[in-house]
Amino acid sequence: MDQSIIRNFCIIAHIDHGKSTLADRLIELTGAMRRDEIREQVMDSMELERERGITIKAKAIRLDYKANDGKTYRLNLIDTPGHVDFSYEVSRTLAACEGAVLVIDASQGIQAQTLANVYLAMEHNLEIIPVLNKIDLPTAETDRVIDEIESVLGYGPESVMLISAKTGLGVPQLLEKIVQRIPPPRGNADAPLRALIFDSHYDSYKGVIAYLRVIDGQISKGGKLRLISQGTELEVLEVGYFAPEPYPVQTLSAGDVGYIATGLKNVAECHVGDTVTSISNGAQAPLHGYRPAKPMVFAGIYPTEADDYQELRAAIDKLSLNDASLSYEPESSPLLGHGFRCGFLGLLHLDIVRERLEREFFLSLVVTAPGVSFIVTKTNGQTVTMVNPSDLPLLNEIEKVEEPWVSISIITPSKFIGPLMELIMGCGGVHKRTEYLGHSRTPGELGQRVQLEYDMPLRSMLTTFYDQLKSRSQGYASMDYEFVGYREAKLVKLDVLVNGVLVDAFSRIIPPEKAHDIGEAIVSKLKEEIPRQLFQVPLQAAVGSRIVARANIPAKRKDVLAKCYGGDITRKRKLLEKQKEGKKKMKSIGKVEVPKEAFMSVLKLNW
Amino acid sequence: MSQDIALYIHFPFCRRRCGYCSFVSYQGRESDIPQYVKALNKELLLRFADQRVSSIYFGGGTPSLLSPGQIHEILSVVHSHFAVDQASEVTLEANPGTVDEIYLTAIRKVGINRLSLGVQSLDDDELALLGRIHTAAEARDAVQFARNARFTNLSLDFIYGLSNQTLASWGKTLDEAIGLNPEHISLYPLTLEDDAPMRLAIQRGEMPPLDPDLTADQYELAQDTLAAHGYSHYEISNWARDGYKCKHNLVYWHNLPYLGAGVAAHSYIDGHRLANTTDLDSYLNAFSDNLPPAWELDEEISPELHLSETVILGLRLSEGIGLEDINRRFGIDLLRHYEQQVGETASLGLLECSGQRIRLTRRGRLLGNEVFWRFLPG
Repeated sequence: MDQSIIRNFCIIAHIDHGKSTLADRLIELTGAMRRDEIREQVMDSMELERERGITIKAKAIRLDYKANDGKTYRLNLIDTPGHVDFSYEVSRTLAACEGAVLVIDASQGIQAQTLANVYLAMEHNLEIIPVLNKIDLPTAETDRVIDEIESVLGYGPESVMLISAKTGLGVPQLLEKIVQRIPPPRGNADAPLRALIFDSHYDSYKGVIAYLRVIDGQISKGGKLRLISQGTELEVLEVGYFAPEPYPVQTLSAGDVGYIATGLKNVAECHVGDTVTSISNGAQAPLHGYRPAKPMVFAGIYPTEADDYQELRAAIDKLSLNDASLSYEPESSPLLGHGFRCGFLGLLHLDIVRERLEREFFLSLVVTAPGVSFIVTKTNGQTVTMVNPSDLPLLNEIEKVEEPWVSISIITPSKFIGPLMELIMGCGGVHKRTEYLGHSRTPGELGQRVQLEYDMPLRSMLTTFYDQLKSRSQGYASMDYEFVGYREAKLVKLDVLVNGVLVDAFSRIIPPEKAHDIGEAIVSKLKEEIPRQLFQVPLQAAVGSRIVARANIPAKRKDVLAKCYGGDITRKRKLLEKQKEGKKKMKSIGKVEVPKEAFMSVLKLNW
Repeated sequence: MSQDIALYIHFPFCRRRCGYCSFVSYQGRESDIPQYVKALNKELLLRFADQRVSSIYFGGGTPSLLSPGQIHEILSVVHSHFAVDQASEVTLEANPGTVDEIYLTAIRKVGINRLSLGVQSLDDDELALLGRIHTAAEARDAVQFARNARFTNLSLDFIYGLSNQTLASWGKTLDEAIGLNPEHISLYPLTLEDDAPMRLAIQRGEMPPLDPDLTADQYELAQDTLAAHGYSHYEISNWARDGYKCKHNLVYWHNLPYLGAGVAAHSYIDGHRLANTTDLDSYLNAFSDNLPPAWELDEEISPELHLSETVILGLRLSEGIGLEDINRRFGIDLLRHYEQQVGETASLGLLECSGQRIRLTRRGRLLGNEVFWRFLPG
């Protein structure tokens, strides 16, 4: 195969800037599918992705394009996940490409993920084609954004393509530009095989399907292969490409993008980022940058009804077949029964997993407040990693606690700098850099756009941070973050006692100076939600033996059917039966009967 | 074989529905009353036979919208069809806004010997809030009319726990109620069913919410005040001077058989709880072709449920339940049969056991449901 007619590229964009719509137009214009065959956004195959407007699983599609020079080019369009939780997957996708189409919304301009994606693409030496999308919308500020692109990214107005992915305006010109500007791959088809896995999914007939980019050598059906980093060995059951339906072929050669069916049972055996080579005469060194996905955010997932535990187990097992970054360990809580402590790449990943469990497996779940993993060094020198707040050792056994930090980048109109800085400082953020983006001649009432860079504990991001960011900036600010390492932290465990009984599911790891406020919030929420009992119920929030907040639920004094005569007996009895049923559904904390809703409301309480 | 039964007659018409009430009653249908009386008489003839009646109770709705002639007609049918005890208690519920001395004298003459007046409050603002059609003055007049008409068994109903009431204003109402010197008093905390208009008003924020603690204080005050004036507290919501307990209602609380006629009326007979339709038109039409309508409810009460209901209903009475009585009726040792329930509620301070009886404690009367649900089967 002549590599000179191959163009491997991806589309990168901030969420909702039109990446998937542009992919649909490219598919349509190159004739891979007619417009009426394209369900909206072909590349977002999961229902959930469509609803959330994000793409979780990258996929590659081969498009044959007859260019103005008369030659037919093979364009491999590789879709990228659009969310920061999946930045590692994004970087693997970029490593499989020679170029990137950078889509920027003509109304919104450069956003945090635009920048993050551009930097990533630059790191991978990709040829970047900047594209201004949605120029047909009345809200488009084409001139301003072109200005911004020039001053922030350094691309002059002449190199920015103006398109409307929705109407197709400018897209034929973009196809020409892709052929002209993005360099062809330059691998060696005769060298030992090296192919980069940039995505994978589990298929119940063919086992794990790995998407890969062949850098050197070739892959044929029946070939015996090995993953260099993981050591997994496999036989190629099928090799092919998508256009967008799968087309099995005999061979994929250097420069090609396609898939192999591996027969492997679990995507964990075939990690994204690993390098595939032949078992005999294979390459020794892997391609750069492999690291297994590392969960950063943890939460307990329990079935609402204890009887559903086995179903939950089966569902999580099944989900994880397709999600190598989801980790899970069984755990049990006196109150919530048996469940799992799960690890996620981020909050969005958690939400996606939770929704899939509920929607695809019809489970009703209790999800505890998300937290991070802490590294605790004990006074006896032992170091432990803990992901469940109730596992924190006693105060006097702790030498130090370390927690994960992230570097965050926020882009906002300057008008909102004050409230945003206040928010970030309140979350323990440490300022790194403030940079004004561009020098718009008409900054408007919101002011210039500014990039703020801070380091911050990941823990602070897991509560209302993102919502606050949006509300304090009237929706204008955008954010990106990356993990920067563990740092020592001053943290304590806040416990909640109901009638003197410690409720493990409510424990949280927090900075000591917030103990009072968070304790108050939990205690007053419980007071509101727990119905009055036949005795007074003390509620306490405590750090060690120190009570930081307390409240009492006064004893119930009146609960009686005052009127009961002949016409009422059956109906009144039914009311009592309902009361009895209600009691059965409550969870008992010591002698206190607590409705499930009360639990949920405290678990959901954001601080 | 004939058995003693209590006879209830439901009269589902009101001049105006009250905002707190969820009983079956119709407003603006008074022109149907004559036809309703005919249907009632037919039901009495068609449905029941061969029982001995020891009490008759006209409940509603507003039975005082019946003319003395109509009451006479109904009672005549009852007398022609059942063996009615000479000493039967015959009660009529009356709205103070619908009666005068002539009317009360007339119904006394046709056989009503106990009058239950729905006074509800002696404060005009409270009466307006409740949506009553009468004033406090009219209520006081009605009591005087009843006495003039020689009613010697008079019961007054009151409502407490209103959102604008205080402990003091309730104390004043109680004093004034006692001043009217009734033989019997029923006190009900304002209780709003899901569909009560007042409940919806509270949900919309148009009225302050009810305060259960104030209501409990008001109940305690009533217990003390009425006891000091010689009223005996014989059921959770009922007080009477010696010899004036409501015989009819005692039948319910003793879980003995009763017959109900009229829209939505319930019967408890031969181990079945039965109920008529709650729809006035269905009821009226059903009797046009001389057939009794199908029961809307026909629930067979199992022996276990019968026992359970007997305990729950009996515990409403201050005298509680006699262990021997239960042993005679059910052949069981109550304390053994309900060992866990009795132990648990006694340790919670809601139930006490003495003199071969179990009964609610003073605290238990306000928390009766916490006792009752535990005695349900299953």
